[in-house]
Amino acid sequence: MIRKINLLLEPLKYLKIQQNFEARLISTTVNLFNESTAERPATSVANIKSKNTLNKAMKSYLERAQQHDEFMKTEKHQFEIGKRHLANMMGENPETFTQDDIDNAIEYLFPSGLYDKRARPLMKPPEEVFPQRKAAEFDETGRPYHFLFYTGRPNLYQVLHDTVEKINELNNFEDTMIRKNLQPDPNLALELSGSQWLDKNTLEQKLVEPVSDGEYSNFLKAMDRLCSLPYSHKAKDFIMEYRKPLMSNSEAFDVIKPQIGPDGRQFVTTYECRRKRAIGNVTIRFPGTGKISINGQDINYFKGIQQREQLLFPLIFTNMQRKVDIEAEVQDGGESGQAGAIRYGIAWGLRSFIDQEYIENMRLAGLLTPDFRIRERKKPGQKGARKKFTWKKR
Amino acid sequence: MCATKVLFSRCFAVSKLNTPILSYIQQNSMSVYPNYYIEPIYRKETQQELVKTGEISKYSHIPTKATLNGQTCSDSYDPVIALFTNYVMRQGLKALAREQMDKCFENIKRLQLEKYHKCTTEEEKLKIELDPKKVFHEAINNSKPLLQLTGVKRGGVRYQVPMPITDRRSEFIAMNWLVDAGKEKDRKVRFAMQLARELVDASNNTGKVVKRKQDLHRQCEANKAFAHYRWS
Repeated sequence: MIRKINLLLEPLKYLKIQQNFEARLISTTVNLFNESTAERPATSVANIKSKNTLNKAMKSYLERAQQHDEFMKTEKHQFEIGKRHLANMMGENPETFTQDDIDNAIEYLFPSGLYDKRARPLMKPPEEVFPQRKAAEFDETGRPYHFLFYTGRPNLYQVLHDTVEKINELNNFEDTMIRKNLQPDPNLALELSGSQWLDKNTLEQKLVEPVSDGEYSNFLKAMDRLCSLPYSHKAKDFIMEYRKPLMSNSEAFDVIKPQIGPDGRQFVTTYECRRKRAIGNVTIRFPGTGKISINGQDINYFKGIQQREQLLFPLIFTNMQRKVDIEAEVQDGGESGQAGAIRYGIAWGLRSFIDQEYIENMRLAGLLTPDFRIRERKKPGQKGARKKFTWKKR
Repeated sequence: MCATKVLFSRCFAVSKLNTPILSYIQQNSMSVYPNYYIEPIYRKETQQELVKTGEISKYSHIPTKATLNGQTCSDSYDPVIALFTNYVMRQGLKALAREQMDKCFENIKRLQLEKYHKCTTEEEKLKIELDPKKVFHEAINNSKPLLQLTGVKRGGVRYQVPMPITDRRSEFIAMNWLVDAGKEKDRKVRFAMQLARELVDASNNTGKVVKRKQDLHRQCEANKAFAHYRWS
């Protein structure tokens, strides 16, 4: 539906039209100047008519399109040159220099400590950097293609229109089912718990249209209405187009393959387990007898009971207390931070030796989520991170 | 080199102009977790219940927050006791608070055993609860208030209006009263001992805390006439 101007063919087509049109325009003006005093021939009138057929909106659009196209062309050209320079600087072959290489080179040449990744320097092809634009929404006579063109946001209102159509369809379907004395199958019911609606920015990108807050909430309301219907599973494809999964695919847990140690036992090492300021490496050996060594000591390394409990938590949870040996090296941080780091390392490494079902249970128990919470810094002009100094007006 | 720099700066300038490339991350105020993360279900029994009811499939695609430091799935763990330990804790000294709680349970056991052995008949012996954890839960249940007095200003006068309270709030009040009662003691008596006595008393529906609860209820009864200020 949404044609993109960045396609190679279309701008060229429009360019051709425009070139023809300009040539005609020039010829007509020349004709007019030449023959203004003389009788007007029929051909020039015809030319003027054909000029008038090209709508003003179309004209300005074509101009804009050409401008954009030229701009993109120069940007692309400059990007190519920049890429080659970069490849030369890094001492690599410019012909085989990929986008990954560019990213690495930029990170190497312009190291940035800025927190937000979007604020860091980047070099991407211009197609990714510049937002996509809509193609012409009207023909040469200025007549819009889309019946909702005058709403100002045809794509958004098309979605809302489709939603209402689906709702009506489903209502009719429900009526027929009621007449037949049939109930909706609970097994088929639409499962939405694992996904959420597209957020506003993503929706805007998808529709190539700006969406206001009110319009976005209207969109959500309409979609929720559709989902609440008893036979909403029939519109699943349509609904799922506007939802995204809560857990991204990168979060899917790839289990580490155990290695074989010199003593013939399997082992898995988890590196860089973190919690608060503590950091450590945890090795799990299978089969074992439940030996625990932390920095060369046994579980008495931790003085507190809570820390020992934390250490054993994943082992108890998966019933592996006496089946594996654990070796951990941990540094920095305090007691509970170190215990938390080791707990995460054990849970992460244990996945290699247990069933898929247990892994899912561990995930649900929050053992496989790294705890990134850290102490909030103290602010100047305040007593602590949030607490203010006592202050009296008088 | 200079030329490339110029080129780069151009590319950077370009990147500043446009809409964000990276996908938009849902922020949950100051939390590190996005708002759709659920609290971890870290107890084995709770998970098994969910499996029985079939509700577990609901959670299969929702990410969970990390389990907190004080939470485990071990048999000795009791969420109510963990909560009470946190109320006993002062200035973040959790280890000390835990130690006090352990001593307190030991004291409860001793007190109950002492009573048990003093009993002469079998019937009296059966009445005495020897499990300190059961004593603790009973004590908290008995000291939970049903109503609460809240100040409401009407016509320049402050009225004490009885209000219904949530279960969580009443639990908090009961625990706080128990901790206060444990601190109200002679200098030579230890907190763990005093708290144990209060818990045993409260489990028998006697003692300072239960009296405090009854006082509050009496006050609420007396101020019944102001109850309409709650909504008018």
